[in-house]
Amino acid sequence: MTVKQIISDLQDYYLLAFRGLTGIFRKPFYFRDTIEQMDYAGAGSFFIIVLVALFIGMALSLQLSAEFARLGLRMYTGKAVGITIIREVGPVTAALVFTGRVGAGMASELGSMVLGHQVDSLRVFGVDPIKKLVTPRMLTSIIMLPVLTIIGDALSILGAYYIVVYVSNQSGYVYWRSIHDVLIVENVIAGSVKPFIFGFLISSISCYSGLTTRGGATGLRQATTRAVVLSIIMIIISDFMLTRILLYLLGFSV
Amino acid sequence: MIIFDHVSFSYGARIVLADLSFSVDFSERVAILGSSGEGKTTILKLVLGLLRPDSGSIIIDGEDITDKTEDELRDVRMKFSIVFQEGALFDSLNVKENVAFCIREYQRLSENEIDSRVRELLRVVGVEEAIDLLPDELSGGMHRRVAIARALAASDPVMFLYDEPTSGLDPINADTICRLILDLSKDKRGFIIVTHKVYDAMKVAERFIFLKEGAILFDGNRDALRHSTIPQIKIFLSELQRP
Repeated sequence: MTVKQIISDLQDYYLLAFRGLTGIFRKPFYFRDTIEQMDYAGAGSFFIIVLVALFIGMALSLQLSAEFARLGLRMYTGKAVGITIIREVGPVTAALVFTGRVGAGMASELGSMVLGHQVDSLRVFGVDPIKKLVTPRMLTSIIMLPVLTIIGDALSILGAYYIVVYVSNQSGYVYWRSIHDVLIVENVIAGSVKPFIFGFLISSISCYSGLTTRGGATGLRQATTRAVVLSIIMIIISDFMLTRILLYLLGFSV
Repeated sequence: MIIFDHVSFSYGARIVLADLSFSVDFSERVAILGSSGEGKTTILKLVLGLLRPDSGSIIIDGEDITDKTEDELRDVRMKFSIVFQEGALFDSLNVKENVAFCIREYQRLSENEIDSRVRELLRVVGVEEAIDLLPDELSGGMHRRVAIARALAASDPVMFLYDEPTSGLDPINADTICRLILDLSKDKRGFIIVTHKVYDAMKVAERFIFLKEGAILFDGNRDALRHSTIPQIKIFLSELQRP
């Protein structure tokens, strides 16, 4: 791939992401498509998020309990678990699950529509494919990923509670007190800004990959793989950058 | 009228059309023939502005569409109805919703009016009984007929464009599609049919353009095609002699 090609692809991606996002505020509004996407992305991902978040919370709590017990600091388990889940692990885990299920689905569905000339059909009928296909998926991701993250955070904290109280034999009161202390505005903001950005990145990358599919079944496989891999890379990189920016803005010293 | 003026187009390094020039009147019944990968479908996409030529210009009804934006192309596209290869129906929508797609998009009709309009169009193409089926539940022939109904619902075209409308169909279904194509062209609405099935093209078209390596190898009527001595065309015509 030449430098010129990379620049051209980036330009196309930015244009699609911009038009997809601004499409939220431009007529026509495709409410039905958006609701369908929300059902698929939100309700459809609910049980996967519940399961993953519960076990992540339990695993994290086990690790921290073991290490804090060695240092004689077991009473800090709740606080450490809370901060880690709310600020970092919760948003990233939900985003990665969302990428695997929803992002891959978006890329393969749009790719299949491109190969089957369905996107061309939309254009011939005078329908803007970005408004009809990208904007509802983008809006869905921006709304549903934060919702799923909040649910996932709650489940992770609940899973951690089970380990702290029934396995590590610590006080439930102390645990909930620690979680309560962690739920300050700064931490909640630090954790809740990320899913919006991740949702935008996953949907824009996946839609771009899907709509640029070329070359039959192999092309579709490549588009789906590209969507998932690029989304994961961008989630990890943007997570670091957002953490750095948010810690600075919220007045945390590093 | 559609005018291709020295049009060239390539996919990456692969040249598909090389300095192609021809014109087609909206009332003409034209078949574009050629092997796979000779740029037949590309021509239809260029007519609709779905692709942009590398060089040359495409003039539709006196307007150069080469540099038009997507919004400006909307009016140009409404002059045509295209039936893509294998129909290109929206696979998440049933037959009724596929045909009703453009009606819902552009017309404010009640649910009853939409239903009766869709049924009327499906009756025209002879697949009214398939109204509640999903595209993957349709046979190949039904798929194409629903696609034609959807194209009719989209606009009142001056010309139809068909991309391999009979490929993959058995002779009976292919014949049904050919008769439908002829029925729809009765009121002086011409069509361009892109196909490699010369037998079906002979049934419906009056003018034949044969593409080879991005250039026009032959352009003439049925008799001229039948008596052509060009070897590639003779290979294509051998389909007609098969028992």
